[in-house]
Amino acid sequence: MFDWIHNIPILSVVTYLPLVGALLILFMNKESGGSIRRFATLVAFVDFLISLPLWFEFERTGELFQFRESASWIPSIGVRYEFGIDGISLLLVLLTTLLGVISFLSSWSAIGEREKEYYIFMLLLQTGMLGVFMAMDFFLFYVFWEVMLVPMYFLIGIWGGPRKLYAAIKFFLYTLVGSVVMLLGVLALYFYNSSGLLGFEGLGNPRTFAILQFHEISALIPPSMQWWIFLAFFVGFAIKVPMFPFHTWLPDAHVEAPTAGSVILAGVLLKMGTYGFVRFSLPILPEGTRALLPWMVALSLIGIIYGALVAMAQKDMKKLVAYSSVSHLGFVMLGIFALNSAGLNGGILQMINHGLSTGALFLLVGVIYERRHTRMIADYGGLSSKMPLFATVFLIITMASIGLPTLNGFVGEFTILVGAFSRTWWWALVGAIGIVLGAAYMLWMFQRVFFGPLDNPDNEDLEDLNKRELLYLMPLVILCFWIGLYPKPFFAILEKPVDYIVRRVDADYAANVDVAAVTAPAEVSE
Amino acid sequence: MPPIPLEEFLSLLPEGFLLTAGMLLLIVSSIGKGVTSRTATVVTVLSLALTAVLLVWIGVESGARPILAGMFIVDGYAFFWKLLLILATGLTAIVSCRFVEEGGYRAGEFFSLLMLAATGMLLMASGFNLLSIWISLELMALSSYILAGYFKLETRSNEAAIKYFVLGALSSGILLYGISLVYGATGTVGLEGVASALPAAAQTKPTLIAIGWLLMAIGLFFKVAAVPFHIWTPDVYVGAPTPVTAFLAVCSKAASFAILVRIFFVALPGLRVDWQIVTAAVAALTMIWGNLAALTQKNVKRMLAYSSIAHAGYVLMGVLAFSEDGLWAVLFYMLAYSLITLGTFGTVVLLERKEYAGERYEDYAGLARRAPLLAAMMLLFMLALTGIPPTGGFFGKVYLFAAAVEAGWTWVAVIGVLMSAVSLYYYLGIVVQMYFKEADDDTPAPLAAPGLVVAIGFCALATLLLGVWPEPLVEFAKSSLLPIL
Repeated sequence: MFDWIHNIPILSVVTYLPLVGALLILFMNKESGGSIRRFATLVAFVDFLISLPLWFEFERTGELFQFRESASWIPSIGVRYEFGIDGISLLLVLLTTLLGVISFLSSWSAIGEREKEYYIFMLLLQTGMLGVFMAMDFFLFYVFWEVMLVPMYFLIGIWGGPRKLYAAIKFFLYTLVGSVVMLLGVLALYFYNSSGLLGFEGLGNPRTFAILQFHEISALIPPSMQWWIFLAFFVGFAIKVPMFPFHTWLPDAHVEAPTAGSVILAGVLLKMGTYGFVRFSLPILPEGTRALLPWMVALSLIGIIYGALVAMAQKDMKKLVAYSSVSHLGFVMLGIFALNSAGLNGGILQMINHGLSTGALFLLVGVIYERRHTRMIADYGGLSSKMPLFATVFLIITMASIGLPTLNGFVGEFTILVGAFSRTWWWALVGAIGIVLGAAYMLWMFQRVFFGPLDNPDNEDLEDLNKRELLYLMPLVILCFWIGLYPKPFFAILEKPVDYIVRRVDADYAANVDVAAVTAPAEVSE
Repeated sequence: MPPIPLEEFLSLLPEGFLLTAGMLLLIVSSIGKGVTSRTATVVTVLSLALTAVLLVWIGVESGARPILAGMFIVDGYAFFWKLLLILATGLTAIVSCRFVEEGGYRAGEFFSLLMLAATGMLLMASGFNLLSIWISLELMALSSYILAGYFKLETRSNEAAIKYFVLGALSSGILLYGISLVYGATGTVGLEGVASALPAAAQTKPTLIAIGWLLMAIGLFFKVAAVPFHIWTPDVYVGAPTPVTAFLAVCSKAASFAILVRIFFVALPGLRVDWQIVTAAVAALTMIWGNLAALTQKNVKRMLAYSSIAHAGYVLMGVLAFSEDGLWAVLFYMLAYSLITLGTFGTVVLLERKEYAGERYEDYAGLARRAPLLAAMMLLFMLALTGIPPTGGFFGKVYLFAAAVEAGWTWVAVIGVLMSAVSLYYYLGIVVQMYFKEADDDTPAPLAAPGLVVAIGFCALATLLLGVWPEPLVEFAKSSLLPIL
């Protein structure tokens, strides 16, 4: 049915369609906000539709990377235009296009000024993020990784909250510092693969930035060098994730960004950091990874607990959700650094879960903020009687976020804990404490907002969700249930790439355990 | 000495032509009322175009060819710089047109000085003898001093000219003194002669050689405005008429880099270990100080002055790598930097009025609404100066960092990348004004100068194109290298 996608450079089409849309909007009249927002949403929707067949046509047991595109770009330094996706990229690409449509829809009422620029930047952002997940050339990856910062900077800086300027520049500076240091790591790899550097004799291969080539040489890179390159990558990725103590840009950026910006930030941008660890740090630098493992896990665990505790103290709903991201991403990192198949499976699935549930939470906070222009928990109370539909959706998402069985969060967190436990039992214990804390702050917020007497007169006339809002929230709710009830298709698509990474990063483990069989936790939770 | 064949003079035809054109313009403009700024601009641009045509017509034969008894050389390296300098001078002329008109001074002299300076630069690119290089440098410098003081009724312009002249003369003197010491030690001023006599001389007269090359290096660092020899730069850049500032920040710097690299690579490869260490220190200091000082500036021109200092630091990183990769990175970067910087200064000129307007950050407020295209181009230039893709500035910086890492100067590269992250802050200062702030009544509206807008557009387009498809320029730069000994 979808055979045609094999005949076109489907990944490029998906990536550049938003760019083309943005260029077309340039020529539209800036007074006609209505047609601009409809057109932009249409572009995002078409992009989502085009990306959907990837899910059906992707062969679960086929090549690791599929839909590959390859062209010469800058031959003088060995940079190629290489696109391709494995199961991990596939899920993240679909998450990006889906959240794209949703965030466009949510912007219709939220963005009232300078709409033309807004939708141009949103579309450019889509292109940047999609490119990051598809690039198979490290240089190309880096280009997309940086390009994407610019539109996000503007989204926060123009349409953000009261401290938008501060938040925007902080976001940009933090990420830029991280990425330039990462670039040095990439260059070190590049020269080690070819002519050598710093007294290390190179491998003499042709100059290339091909990620798979770097995977190939992972065993040949001397440990001391792995250590340094790992640190360079770490700075880039950890700031993006963000891992404690590099997280301080996140609350500012998330809180000040407009709703759609927060959705994209939490839903997709943070995943670029974890994706970086999975795609680069682990398979290219196994020695470095193992050498620094205790530190990584320690930072992840601190992130889980610290994020949860700080979230608990927040009075602002958006800030609470922002800090909960620090905690959840700590979880993802814990799963990834369990370095076994359960942990990685759970970690990657939790990336998707977090994108869905936290994206939805930001949307919900945005909905109520548009009506009342306050996000303070204390301003609300007893909303469930006025907004039953809103309360229901909020409850479902809350449950998804805290990991109630039958919802997606449970599957991800449980699998991560299994992975962590089989490494070291107390990692899982700390993680479990994090889950309890997570339940506490989310439920406490829910209780204070929705239950109790409706004693604030300003809340008397609140309207429930309208059709558009329901339309963009429903897909997220459905997906939360789908992953919660039947995660098998997701694990199936992750099986091969996760297996590949585990074998690369921890060959001993992979030899002792039949990696393919350790999707067992997924079976348990079904 | 055998007679010099005529073809060797022909090889300098482009320079000769430009010199003649400049002189003629000077003579014509001193008759009666002189020429208008527009006429002079057209004449200048046409002369430069013709010079470029002549340059391409003479072409580059395979291999380098010393001419006029080794005073000059015709090679790919000189060819690259000459094209760069002609392009940049042409753009400067277009940027100057409206500005000179508004200033109300005689236009012909300004443009003829521009052409004379350009002649000096072209000769610098070809220079193959310490003395011919020095004389060409002086032709450029003397013309530039006058250009800096061209708005003779404005105190700032006078101050700039005097400071530039005093410190420029001092640095030329230092350079010349260094040359004389090297001559004393080696008995020659030909670059290749110096290189071959150096090992023996370093044995017998180590002190003389050491002081000699250090003084030469200091003179050259002065000219490219590297820290700690940059003190003249901010005041001169702020005081000079803005198009002249652009000319100094781009053309003068490029030509100075051309001779710096030529002297270091051809005459002093034997002292490579020494000058690499010195250059590394200077590059690091330049990047750190240039960027940190730019952070605190309130005046856009002053910020751009410090930013141009910082950029000299990045380029020095490519020089100290002393490798083919480093050299073509320098060439690539200088071209990208020239286009970006000229575009930036072009935009400043569009907003500039008497009494410092257009030089404050606030003058850019709301530009995105008032002139969306201009603001978008300025945004592109700011991103390019920071080194964000997809711009030529990004690739240029990557190439330079890569060359430094490859050559083992990782610590310099680390400073470089961190400092270019710092630079984001002050470049975004302009972006913040353009996109996040609203204009008030005092904010100047951009001038209506179609020619200038086209020139800015050309720079923007080229910046973007180099960021998407840098390969052709890389190939060109790679074919323009000096032999690395």
